[in-house]
Amino acid sequence: MRRLTPYAIAIVGVIGVTSVIGLITSRASVQGLSAMYLLLILWLAARWGRWPAIVGSIASFMLYDFYFVAPVGTLSVRGTAELLELVVLLVVALVTSQLAGSLRRARASAESLTRESRALYEVATEALRSQEVTVAMAMLCERATDLQSVQRFALVAVDSGQASALAGVELTAAELKQAAWSHENGRSIGIAVRAGAVTLVGSHPGAAEAAYLPLASGVAVMVIESELAGPDELRMLAALIGLADLLLDRRRAALESERARGLESSDRLKTAILSSLSHELKSPIASLRAGLTALTSPQAGLQPDQRELLVDLDRQATRLDRMVGDLLALSRLESGLELETDAQSFADLVAGATRRLRVELAGNQLLVVLPDDLPPVEVDELQAGRVLANLLENAHEWAPPNGVIEIGASVREGVLEGWVENEGPPIPTSDLEHVFDTFWTRRARGTGLGLAICKRVVEAHGGRISAENRRRGPRFAFTFPLAPVPAVPAS
Amino acid sequence: MSGRVLVIDDEIEMQRALRAGLGYHDFEVRAVGSGEDAIREVAAWRPDVILLDLGLPGMDGFATLKALRPAERSAVIVVSVMPDEKDKVRALDAGADDYLVKPFGTEELVARIRAVLRRQAAVTAGEPIVRSGDLEIDIGRRLVTVAGRSVRLTPTEYELLRFLALHAGKPVTHTTLLRQVWGDYAIGDTYNTRYVVAQIRKKLGDDPANPRYIVNEPGVGYRLEA
Repeated sequence: MRRLTPYAIAIVGVIGVTSVIGLITSRASVQGLSAMYLLLILWLAARWGRWPAIVGSIASFMLYDFYFVAPVGTLSVRGTAELLELVVLLVVALVTSQLAGSLRRARASAESLTRESRALYEVATEALRSQEVTVAMAMLCERATDLQSVQRFALVAVDSGQASALAGVELTAAELKQAAWSHENGRSIGIAVRAGAVTLVGSHPGAAEAAYLPLASGVAVMVIESELAGPDELRMLAALIGLADLLLDRRRAALESERARGLESSDRLKTAILSSLSHELKSPIASLRAGLTALTSPQAGLQPDQRELLVDLDRQATRLDRMVGDLLALSRLESGLELETDAQSFADLVAGATRRLRVELAGNQLLVVLPDDLPPVEVDELQAGRVLANLLENAHEWAPPNGVIEIGASVREGVLEGWVENEGPPIPTSDLEHVFDTFWTRRARGTGLGLAICKRVVEAHGGRISAENRRRGPRFAFTFPLAPVPAVPAS
Repeated sequence: MSGRVLVIDDEIEMQRALRAGLGYHDFEVRAVGSGEDAIREVAAWRPDVILLDLGLPGMDGFATLKALRPAERSAVIVVSVMPDEKDKVRALDAGADDYLVKPFGTEELVARIRAVLRRQAAVTAGEPIVRSGDLEIDIGRRLVTVAGRSVRLTPTEYELLRFLALHAGKPVTHTTLLRQVWGDYAIGDTYNTRYVVAQIRKKLGDDPANPRYIVNEPGVGYRLEA
């Protein structure tokens, strides 16, 4: 019924204009009054489009011919002038309606673009403004269901195979399961997005079946009436889906950083516990060692075999102390210890390490191979010293009594390459790659921490460490960065 | 008697072990468990050496150290269970004479106490010549010799060596060295001390990887072997 209204208006309009012309010609003789029809046709074409205007043109021509062109009262076309009048009316109707139509379409599309961009803008600003990404997601789902063709729209997160609805309409368990499947397999159902354009696949008109679109960090679930889904709607849908993709990504990033923060703080907690635990463990060890070593002094008047026993016990206490220290050091390194690097002389580091181990190394021949012009290294003095001490200690454990332990360094390819070598038995080839593993040890009494600490410290400095078998025995080689060359200070 | 040692440690077992161990080495030992008691005991008994544990309950080690300093006559060896170099530096800068990381053996402790006592005796006697092995530093005459052979040092080098010699056997922090030799503006620039120490070692014929005279104290500074 509504579709006929423009034609009725056209007919009524033509009758109206004809009456006006009739009224005028009855009073005076005026030429060219047929032009009045043009005004009507122009309006009809602009307002109602092509067909009402054409109907109006033909009706105008017929009524004008019937009432005003002689012989009056008949529909007869004589002469080209009249014919021309009809053609002009028709052309005006066509051209105007065409122009008006394209104007109308341009305006409609501008309006829909404005609507779209406003909706997207709202969702995007909401996403930027709120910490809680679900608010923006809910808004996005609302905008999606505002579209005529979209009946349901929901966003689903899939975490370790488990789908959970984040925003939008409620979903059934079966739909969630389907969404999880879609995400796991990266397969969309009933919808396809290619190069930012949405196409509906095999959905039947009126079917309430949901379409599933897997995104990077979740799934968009929607029910779309394909009959209503014009290009404008699909474009809007594509934009909303793009935004949903970003929002889901942001949610996952937020979750991950939260998880990382949790891990980090649990790492700190672990170190704090271990730190206070080592304090508690070390205090009794300190008393033990003070007491044991007090009794081993000759003035204590113990028998030689008794003293020997005490010396053995003191050695055990020392070992226990070192293990506690190593555990704490490792834990600190693992929770991301900050290095305090500085230009350090490698010779100083060697001196510090050998001094710390002078008791152990007294039973070996220590060979230090350092060129005089060795440039300083950029390291954390204490941590780098620990590396040398641990490697020397390891060498001491494996070197035969009175065997040579060599420590040396040279500059190679812009870094300092240091090594510690001993005359002990070769490391089995299958073990070479494991010697730096935490708690991995080749002997029953080792802790498996010393070399693991070395690896972590060296790598924290951006260096490498490796073990190999040389002709003389096993060699551990490592690299440290060289210090930037400073200006020579005034002396 | 070798000297009077006051042990400040809140662990009874530690007190007893040190009393026994140091007693065997002819030291006269008294022990207290808190900073407050220590201050009273120092005033009344006048020990030669104070062994101060930093981890005291109540008035902590640093506060105790600060309070004890005016006594001056006693050397302080700071003891701590956690080997944090910042605490060592802080304690040395606050006037401690040496530090020792727990756990330690009696021999090591006795050696430290003897070194501190020796240094104290030298300071009291106003000894003008400081010896470290065959290295002699004649502070009165500004003369440095190794095995009788004289060594020429630049003013900066001599100043650094002299300061270490005045505190022979005691670790001197980088900060203290920089302030003494270069002045306040140089603090934080440890490259200076390292460079000058390397130069001095070269002139003294000292092997940096196995030094006889100037020893590197990792994370702290340097010490002239006494």
